[in-house]
Order: sequence, then structure tokens, then C-alpha cells
Amino acid sequence: MNAWIVWPVVVPLAAATLSVLAGQRMARVIIGSATVAIVGALAGLTLQVWQNGPQRHVIGGWEPPLGIQLYADGLSVVMLWMSTVVGALIGVYALGYFAHDSGTTGTAATGEHGDNSELFWPLWLFLWAALHALFLSADIFNLYVTLELLGLAGVALVNLAGGQLALVAGMRYLLASLLGSLAYFLGVAFLYATCGVLDVRMLSTRVSAHPAVWLAIAVMTLGLLLKTALFPLHFWLPPAHANAPAPVSALLSALVVKASFYLLLRLWFQVFSVVLPPVAGQVLGILGVLAILWGSVLALRQQRLKLLVAYSTVAQIGYLFVLFPLAGGTAWGAAAWSGGTFHALAHACAKAAMFMAAGTMMAALGHDHLHELAGMGQRLPLSMFAFALAGVSLMGLPPSGGFVAKWLLLDAALASGQWWWGAVLIVGGLLAAGYVFLVLRQAFAPLPADVRYRPVPRVMELAALSLALLAFLLGLMAIPPLTLLQIGAPFVGGLGTEALP
Amino acid sequence: MQGHPAANIPLSEGQPGGCSVRRLLALFSWALVLVLAWAALSLPSHSPGLVDFVHAELEHSGVVNPVTAVLLNFRSYDTLLEVGVLLLAVFGVWALPRERVWGAPLGAPVAGPVLHTFVRLLAPLMIVVGGYLLWIGAYAPGGAFQGGAVLAAMGVLVWLSDLAPLPRFSRWDMRMALLLGFATFLAVAGGVMVGGGRLLEYPRLWAGSVILLIETALTVSIACILILLFLGGVGEKRRATEGVREREAKQ
Repeated sequence: MNAWIVWPVVVPLAAATLSVLAGQRMARVIIGSATVAIVGALAGLTLQVWQNGPQRHVIGGWEPPLGIQLYADGLSVVMLWMSTVVGALIGVYALGYFAHDSGTTGTAATGEHGDNSELFWPLWLFLWAALHALFLSADIFNLYVTLELLGLAGVALVNLAGGQLALVAGMRYLLASLLGSLAYFLGVAFLYATCGVLDVRMLSTRVSAHPAVWLAIAVMTLGLLLKTALFPLHFWLPPAHANAPAPVSALLSALVVKASFYLLLRLWFQVFSVVLPPVAGQVLGILGVLAILWGSVLALRQQRLKLLVAYSTVAQIGYLFVLFPLAGGTAWGAAAWSGGTFHALAHACAKAAMFMAAGTMMAALGHDHLHELAGMGQRLPLSMFAFALAGVSLMGLPPSGGFVAKWLLLDAALASGQWWWGAVLIVGGLLAAGYVFLVLRQAFAPLPADVRYRPVPRVMELAALSLALLAFLLGLMAIPPLTLLQIGAPFVGGLGTEALP
Repeated sequence: MQGHPAANIPLSEGQPGGCSVRRLLALFSWALVLVLAWAALSLPSHSPGLVDFVHAELEHSGVVNPVTAVLLNFRSYDTLLEVGVLLLAVFGVWALPRERVWGAPLGAPVAGPVLHTFVRLLAPLMIVVGGYLLWIGAYAPGGAFQGGAVLAAMGVLVWLSDLAPLPRFSRWDMRMALLLGFATFLAVAGGVMVGGGRLLEYPRLWAGSVILLIETALTVSIACILILLFLGGVGEKRRATEGVREREAKQ
């Protein structure tokens, strides 16, 4: 059995089915075995890609263009590891979160989803499967199906919070997500009508400067930007991510927005690269810069912790798009490509840790008002430490993953002579320091005597801390993922790693 | 909507009520329509797409109807994931907040003698039609989705005319019915790999039977899914949770 590539999709789907049939008690066993199976399959796949280069799997034995093909190169494998590791730790956190939650009689902020927690597991497993299917698919229509799977699972998960705020946020998220998918689908229809194939590789040889292809590029890009929540299409993100239950916020902010970014990366650099003029990348880069500034400034102005973290996501998404204007040249393309994707990785770990830490504090206090967080550093030292470590990665200080990502992007910016992108990276880091310290300042204030505080399961704190440590230390183990990223990358030449200090 | 709790939900903090915003949106929409029309007109008048490929392999697909061949064999992976999308829609409805937000639950059905008698006559016929649509899918337009839709319509009619009580999806067997299609499809998808095949690679000689098996299971599940979407999540979800708790208490 050497078809490791299919199991990261099949296993979570099977586990989701079983978890609906079995009750809560069996959930732990099912999730545990599923996680082990996924990690094993992924290790096998990684080894195959490492030794033999990109892997393909022709589903049903029907070769493209008739059938659908799964494809895994370095980028897919890195994204799969990101989703598996971060997803598994969020699962561990959720075990504690929902156990804690069902023990409460129901405060306005946290207690309403007591009997909804049963739905969390199948939805989370479906979301996991959707992410893996998306990272492995090489067929633009199949990718649309995975986008729908991902979007619907995300919306249902947001609504698990119960209450009107989550309902409105979830509805807005649903509409934005559907609009994004449909725009993408419209592009698929135009591409199929012009090129006659759906397979990504075949498509890349057939696209030409045709009006319908231009339109397809425009609507697909717009749809995916809406789903990635790039400024100014980020309006749906802060309410959805801030009002969801904490494990869901972590899943959405860390993983789901990266999926549409990944797809955009694939399409722009492996399908449309022949017809796209360099100025298009500049436009995305400028939007990215605006996102960094706008998201950071709004994060500084928030009164609620989870909204602050959500606006920080708006800002951090901006960095991903600085990749597009920089990856144009051959000499520095590899550094930009590695830097942008490494940023996705580092941000996934850091942001999930942040949302988990914020959720722990919220579970302990019953609210997340920033000015009432005083003394949290004494009450929940591990969570606060996790928040601070994740913050270090967002600021881009060594040895964090955020540092390596920004270093590579900075290197590409200087090598290409476009130093202004580098300047934005540094300003963004300073702004991130601003909003992280806004939280830390409160946390280390003296502990007020009259604050009611409920103990939280230890496992929640430990899960957040592991991810934060991972984000913090990612810079020290950057070489394997960066080397993997070069396998099958559109940029031949330098590894991008020689730029590292 | 008067007095309906849902009407009180603020839909957004800043309503785009301004006239200028609407004009701008209208302008944008018209521009989009024109661009779409221009692009659509620029398309080649004849685009064969993948039709020739489908016909070339049709004899190996196990069915005669090209649509079924594409949905259940050539691109069965898409269909597998789409059934997952349908299940997610049901879970999404269950995840919605309860009565407090949405207003009164679904009222009890009103039974009249005419409706009652008519549905009694119609229901068996609909079961036959559903089964026929499932069977004919291999040769002509039809299949699991069409058959399931007819069965679901029958279920809704039977419930509306008060002939049978609301199906309780907290029950073990009803949950099985809901998941049967997806589980069967997935089991076949992975099962064929045991002999060294690829994902969803049916044995050539048995392809027709395998497709019929999957479609039969799918028909049942699609009917369940559609009935559940019609009923909405109101009240159902709470019962679903209670059911599991009851079962756990018994064990």
C-alpha cells in the first residue's frame, strides 16, 4: 500500500461518519485513532515526496482530462503538516474546552453551546478533510467542491456558539463564503468553456490571452480574496472569528483562511503565470500592505481580546500577499515564495495559540473585555506565556517562525530593489508589538481582589502553550520545511535558505 | 415579521442605506453584467469539452447513461465530497440556535379528509417512482438524487397530512439511514484499494453493480437529508442530543 496520498482525506471523512453514529464517549477514541492514522499517512507521503519528488494519484484509474488527479508537491505537504499539527492540537484543546463548558449552567458568554458540543467533532473532522482535500486536489472543479465543504463546515462551527451575535456573524460569513465560492465557480465555467479541461496541469498549457480567460482570472481571484479576507474584503472576518467558540476561532483564523490563499498561490503561479502581467502582483501587494496597516490599527483600537486577535489576523493576512509582487523575478522568487508560505505556517501556529489562550481566559472570566484582564498573568500564567510567545512570532522577532518568514521576504524585497515592501514589513512588526503589549500590560497589572474566576482544564493551557512554543521555535527548525517547499515549486534555482542568517 | 424575534436581530452595524451607496452598487452590478456578457459572447461557439473522452470510455464505466457515468465513475470523487456537503448542510441546520432566536417552532400539521385520502393513494406510487428513477439512472436521466428527491417529497407529504409522526433522528436506525449513503460510498472508495487498486477504482466487471449499490444507499440518505432540511433544526437537535445521552445512560 503505497498510496499514502489518499488517507489524509479518507481518514477524517470516515472518522466524521463514525463520530455521528457513536456518542460523546467514543469521540475521544475515534479522534485519537484518526489523528494517529493521518500523521502516519502524512509521514509516508512526506518521505515519498522527499525521495521521489511530486506524487500523483489518478482517482478511479481515469487519467485526466477525464478523471480527477490528486497531486502532492512540497507546498502541499507543508500545508498538510500545518493543518494536521495545528488541527490536532486544537482538537486536544477542544476536549478540555467543551468538557469545561458543559459543566457550567450557562453564562451569557460561554454557556449556551453546552448541548451543541456533540456536533463539534463531526464538523471539525469534515473541516479537516476539506482542508486536506483542497491541499491535494489538482482539478479546478474538484477544488470548488472542497471550497464548499470547507465553507459550510466553517459556518456551522461558528453557529455552535449559539446566541444572536454568532448567528448574525455566521450568516454574514455564510453569504461572504458562498459569494466567494460562486465567483470562483463562475471562473471555472469560463475556463472550461475556453480551454476544455479542468486538470490544473493541462490547463496551464492551454490558457491564453483570451477575454474569457481574463474574466475567469478576475472573478476567481476576487472570490478567493473574499474568502481569504484580504483588505478591503475582510469585513466578515472579525465578527465571525471573534464570536465563534474559541477552538473554532483558532481553526478559522489559523487554517481556513490559508486554504483560499494556497489556492490563489497555485492558480497564479502554476496556471495563470503565462498570461498575468507583473502589475497584477503589485496590486495584490498593495492590498496586502493596506491590510497590514488597517488591521493593525484596528487591532490597537479594540476593547475585546478576541476582536483584537481577529483584527490581528486581518493584518497578518496582508503579509501573505507581499509574496505576489516579489515572486516575479527568478533570482529572488524562491526567497519570496518560501517567505510567504513560511509566514502562513508560522501564523497558523501563532494565531491558533493566541485564540486558544484568549479562549482560556474567557472561559475563566466569563468575558474578554481587555480592561478587565488585570492579573491574568498570575491567574493563568501558562496561557499568558503562550499568548506572549505567539506575540513574539507575530512581531517577527528571532528565533520565531515569523522572523524567518519576514527575513526571507525582506531579503527578496532588497534583492529585487523594491525596498518599500521591506519597510512595510518592519512597520507592521512594530504595530504588532503595540497590540500584543496592549494585552500583556493588562495581564501583569496587579490582581484585583473581587474578580470571580473559575478554574479551567489544564489541557487547554498546555495545548495553547505547545503551539506557541512551536511558533516560537519554528525559526530554529526552518530548513526542513523550506527545503520541502522547493520540491515542485515554480521557481528553480536557489533554495531560498542561503539568505538565512 | 411583526413580533418575530428574528426581526430584532441587527443585520449590520452600519446599514448601507445611503442612496449614493445603492447607486454605486447598481452601477457596479451593471458593469459586471456587461463584462460578463462581453466575455460570454467572446467564447468559442463550439467547445467540445470532455464529451469525446466520456464517450470513448463509456463502455468501461458500467452504465450506459453518460451523466451517471461521469457522476458515479469518472468523477465519483466529486460526488463523494458533494454528499459530504449535503450532510454538512444538515449539521449546519442542527447547529443553528433554537426557538428563542427563530420564533415559534414548526406548527402541527393540519389534516383534512381530502389530503389524507389523496396522500394515502399517492405515497405507494411515489415509492415506486423513486425506485424506478434510481434503477433507470443507469440507462437514462435519473439516479440517486432524483429518486431520493421523490422519496423525500413523499415523506414530507405523509408528515404534513398527519399520517405518520415526525421521524426521530435521535434514533440509532434513523442516524444510520442518514449516513448510509456517505458511509457506503466511502467504504467502497477505500475498500477497492485493499487489492492494490486506486481510490474509487471499481473492478471493471462489477462496475455496474457497484454503482447500483452506491446509488441505492445514496437514495435513502438523500431522502433523509432533504426531509431534515425541510423540517429544519428546530427541536430536532435537542432531541438528537438527548437520544445519545439516553443511550449512554443505558450502557
